[in-house]
Amino acid sequence: MNNDEVLMDPKDQIISLLKEADLYQNQGLLNEAKERFKKATDIIKNSPDIKNGQALIASIVKKVVDLNQKINQINQATSKPTVSDNKQNLIKKLFAGGDEKGDFTSALEGAIALAKFGQFDRAMKEFEQLLDVEAVRVAAAKNIVRCHIETEALEAAALCFEKWAGDDRFSIPQLDKIRFFLEGRFRKLGFERELYQREETISDEDMETLEMESASAETPQTSRDVAPSHDPEPVLEEMELPEEDEFLDINSVGIQLPSGPLKGRMVEFDVSFQTGNSINLIIASKESALLNELSKGTKLTDMQFFSPIAILNGSGVVTAKTQIKSGPKEGDYSLDITILTT
Amino acid sequence: MATFNFKKREIECKIVYYGPGRCGKTTNLEYIFKTYKKQIAGEMVSIDTEGDRTLFFDFLPMGLGKIKGCDVKVQLYTVPGQVQYSSTRKLVLKEVDGLVFVADSLEVRREKNMLSLKDLHENLKSYGTSIFKVPLVMQYNKRDLEEEGIPLMSIERMDQDLNRQLKAPHFSASAIKGQGVPQTIMECLKRTLLNLQKQLKWAK
Repeated sequence: MNNDEVLMDPKDQIISLLKEADLYQNQGLLNEAKERFKKATDIIKNSPDIKNGQALIASIVKKVVDLNQKINQINQATSKPTVSDNKQNLIKKLFAGGDEKGDFTSALEGAIALAKFGQFDRAMKEFEQLLDVEAVRVAAAKNIVRCHIETEALEAAALCFEKWAGDDRFSIPQLDKIRFFLEGRFRKLGFERELYQREETISDEDMETLEMESASAETPQTSRDVAPSHDPEPVLEEMELPEEDEFLDINSVGIQLPSGPLKGRMVEFDVSFQTGNSINLIIASKESALLNELSKGTKLTDMQFFSPIAILNGSGVVTAKTQIKSGPKEGDYSLDITILTT
Repeated sequence: MATFNFKKREIECKIVYYGPGRCGKTTNLEYIFKTYKKQIAGEMVSIDTEGDRTLFFDFLPMGLGKIKGCDVKVQLYTVPGQVQYSSTRKLVLKEVDGLVFVADSLEVRREKNMLSLKDLHENLKSYGTSIFKVPLVMQYNKRDLEEEGIPLMSIERMDQDLNRQLKAPHFSASAIKGQGVPQTIMECLKRTLLNLQKQLKWAK
């Protein structure tokens, strides 16, 4: 309480707080309104002179119950619900880049924009149409499975891939790239699922041709023996925005704690999101031993970065640590780490 | 990023209204839509929730007429302010040409203002740009609530919290009453177009 509140008559304080609470509620500042109602209730409880104090508290309690319902509704609402076709068309138009790009690139960007705004059903339809286009087929396919993963339909993602494995449009190298991508995602999510692999087959006619070739001719290797090539993919294949620094997609990190009771112990965290060389982790509030050792400015000299294609060692520094004030992770801590070296 | 169509002699740029949840970004656009009908090039589109919180963005296209023989078009956007819509804010912010940061003058929203500005700074950084390089105007909104005895931060305090390093022009406002809204957008447009003019000269 500030000095003005201390000097004010309790009745005036209550009136002022209730006025504020009503205004905050009208403004949609529900947590702030709730906090003011609580303060008013505390003053009433501590002021036996207030007439009809109990009735007033009962009335405030009812308002707080309503507020809690609204707050829960907001917190539980999905952050990316499906919107109308017209609004989806607008999203495509506004966020799919300029006219100077080719049709298929624009179409891919449009579908990616829809997916980024959570319009997965529409996005998948658009990606499906792009599977017919050689230049963007792999990008479209990866984004389809990504849409399934985002909607937690992991088995659907696997089934999708297996359907393509039997689809002549897809070459073995293309399937390998998609499989590699999908397996990496499944590994990160702890989803154990073997994916069907199409074997390269050789027709009888080709067999005869092979036998006639010289003994020094190399036989084709199967896809299992060959790691996917690192030919450059279309920039927009990933739903994430293209990063200029080409940083690896990091799924999780291992941090060796520099001090405290857990010193020397390697602890692994999932990465919530990544932008370039900056990653964000969420640490539960109950992990006080960890939280005490990880503060803004803490240098982490021994880190491991787990990506789908490699595990790298490196170092980083904690650049921010903030407590989450609302939402499902309320009370937990958000930690930003900048990667210094890998 | 602004688009220059030399064939059609058209310049199109993007201005984003940023700020914490419930600070008045959408109210700003609604006032502009209502007041400047002649300049509005289409409908205002709001993708919002049933509770009237902006879910994805608001969008308002405007035409400013000809400047040096070129048709100048502006797209105004707002972002959703709530913490959980971080990824959407980042999407809307892509290739922005000018910014209006709408700060909530309520004392109880002080921390939210600062977190939102930090969020803006980080999102711009992720695009390889700096908050110091994008034309920016600060708006300190809800000043009308002072008359109702609601605790507000002083302009000096808000400037100290949010504008000490940026030193952007700032305007007091009551978006719901339309006060300060035209001045804010005019200053932002002026700075954005001057910046584009510089870029155009470099491009030549």
